[in-house]
Amino acid sequence: MMSKLLATVKKEILLLIRDMVGLSILFLMPMALIFVMTLIQDSAFKTMNEKGIPIVFVNSDKDSLGILIEQGLRNNALCSFHDSIDGQPATAELALKAVGEGKFLVGIIIPKGATEAIRKNVTELVSETLNTEEPTVEKTAPLKDSVEISILIDPVAKKSFLLSVTSNLREFISEIKTKIMFQTFSDQIEEVIPGKSSTPKNAYNKSQIITYKEIYASKSEDKIVPNAVQHNVPAWTIFAMFFIAIPLSGSILKEKNEGSAFRLHTMPTPFLLLVNGKIIVYVMVCLIQFTLMLSVGQLFLPMLGLPALVLGNSLMGIFILTLATAFAATGYGVLVGTLAATEHQAAIMGSLSILLLSALGGIWVPSYVMPEMMRNISTWSPLNWSLEGFYKLFLRGGHITDILLDAFKLMVFFFATMAISYLYNRKKRTV
Amino acid sequence: MSNPAIIEIQNLTKTFKHATEPAVDGISFSIYRNEIFGLLGPNGAGKTTTISILCGLFPPSSGKVLIDGKNLHSELPSIKNIIGIVPQDIALYPTLTARENLEFYGSMYGLFGKDLKDKIDIWLEKLGLTDAAKRQVSTYSGGMKRRVNLIAGVLHNPKILFLDEPTVGVDVQSRNVILEHLKAINLTGTTIIYTSHHMEEAEHFCTRVSIIDNGQILTQGTPGELISNNAGSTNLENVFLNLTCRKLRD
Repeated sequence: MMSKLLATVKKEILLLIRDMVGLSILFLMPMALIFVMTLIQDSAFKTMNEKGIPIVFVNSDKDSLGILIEQGLRNNALCSFHDSIDGQPATAELALKAVGEGKFLVGIIIPKGATEAIRKNVTELVSETLNTEEPTVEKTAPLKDSVEISILIDPVAKKSFLLSVTSNLREFISEIKTKIMFQTFSDQIEEVIPGKSSTPKNAYNKSQIITYKEIYASKSEDKIVPNAVQHNVPAWTIFAMFFIAIPLSGSILKEKNEGSAFRLHTMPTPFLLLVNGKIIVYVMVCLIQFTLMLSVGQLFLPMLGLPALVLGNSLMGIFILTLATAFAATGYGVLVGTLAATEHQAAIMGSLSILLLSALGGIWVPSYVMPEMMRNISTWSPLNWSLEGFYKLFLRGGHITDILLDAFKLMVFFFATMAISYLYNRKKRTV
Repeated sequence: MSNPAIIEIQNLTKTFKHATEPAVDGISFSIYRNEIFGLLGPNGAGKTTTISILCGLFPPSSGKVLIDGKNLHSELPSIKNIIGIVPQDIALYPTLTARENLEFYGSMYGLFGKDLKDKIDIWLEKLGLTDAAKRQVSTYSGGMKRRVNLIAGVLHNPKILFLDEPTVGVDVQSRNVILEHLKAINLTGTTIIYTSHHMEEAEHFCTRVSIIDNGQILTQGTPGELISNNAGSTNLENVFLNLTCRKLRD
């Protein structure tokens, strides 16, 4: 029986290496996917980082708030600051039009009298608190009680990205406002309390007692930093491994259509042995695919200026999870090859179902941003089990015990696909 | 026929799911050792269904089949060791060479090592394929593919050989070579069950024929017996047309 299995394995290897197109799909496609997707995602952020987010600034205030915000934006590497549009000084109308046309991603309009309004509010507050007359505020022009800063947004820009940009802007503007308020407050105290010349200096700085530190809650002793490489290499490798279903199902259907399967069914060789030969070869292909993809992540992506892939703590965990993923992908290929009637049908059925399973599995869009119903469905995708497992190893610094359940689920999926294929084949032959 | 039966078929019926009529309708006949038995019939007559059942591809709806004394239903794995099949379609891997194809199929019959290599060499030599043995089958002519297709079915010296139109679409030279070697195989003790639409070929090749239509055996005997028993017939084709009518089949 072992000799027959080896003969089947040899035959499958020969068929595979003679199919150059199929081989290139198996190896070059995932490599290209990793290169392209990682570069796109990385460069999208890098371009923003290097050139800065194009911001048009309209300062109608001309006082402390406007000046400080302008200084802050000019000095911020994340921003590409503009206060003129096509050679003309930026105005609210011009800025609105330019942002609408996509010339700038964001526009900021500081209204006239914004600083004065802040000062007035503080002065009133101090006066009310100390029950004194307003000593210094001119009563000529009525001042606004609130200040409305307009943030113009390019309608084409992605909402999630803009949310992060505008949140940072709000925080920044709010900080400047607070600084002005502190300064005004200090000045007022000094003015309304005679002899109180020793008001606290740097009151604002002294108030900044809360600082923030971002720590990635990884178990790894290595400092795994989540980045495009850590996310993309496992994701696209899993996608490519499952894409093996297409050549594998094609190979099964070729045998059916070219008559080899007919001959094989008349031979004293069990069906499972013939299928096992295929499984062994295609699992090996998956493992080679995975090794190649890791090499791309560790060796080639750094050559393009991307961070190198960090493998985490458990090589054995990676091997077990890869093996389980390879079995699941191969089992899926056998199932598609069994259920489809023609190669064309298998190619469509295989590619569409893998695209669907990968979308559900969080390969294209992380499952945590999906609506709850889709998140629940996502947990039924074998690609999700594999991806979650690899994220545990590559991002969370997990160990072998952390991925055992994922590997187990993938193996159950493999056995389920094999059982369905076997029963379907048997049923078809007993009609 | 003095030889004992190697295949005994009793009331064999096969009705496919959703079909209104049975494809094989209660046929009974025997095939004797060392015969070249022709199973002839128009398209849809039931001959491929009968051969597929005998090869173990699918079970009958009812009836009993004994092959070399073994029950097809209960002893299929051991029966598979003694049968060979040469299907009508070229059942070969086009991107493998002839030798690689034969090594694989031979292995599936339990042939390995020197024994397998020697058998392949002998057959390739017999059928004039030694020089082309290292070429991929996809580069072969139709006749060459048919010859490799034949070798894949006989490499393990089967007791019973099923031939489904083994010479369809080949030139006269290839057909002669194939038929000569089939006769030689038969002389070594292999029983041959043969289907064809080529009546002249069947008349000269078969020792006994059975004409089947609508899933039923219409007549059976040596080609000479059938011709002489059917008044006005001068050859097997006349007999066949008289029995199965001249109406076109789907």
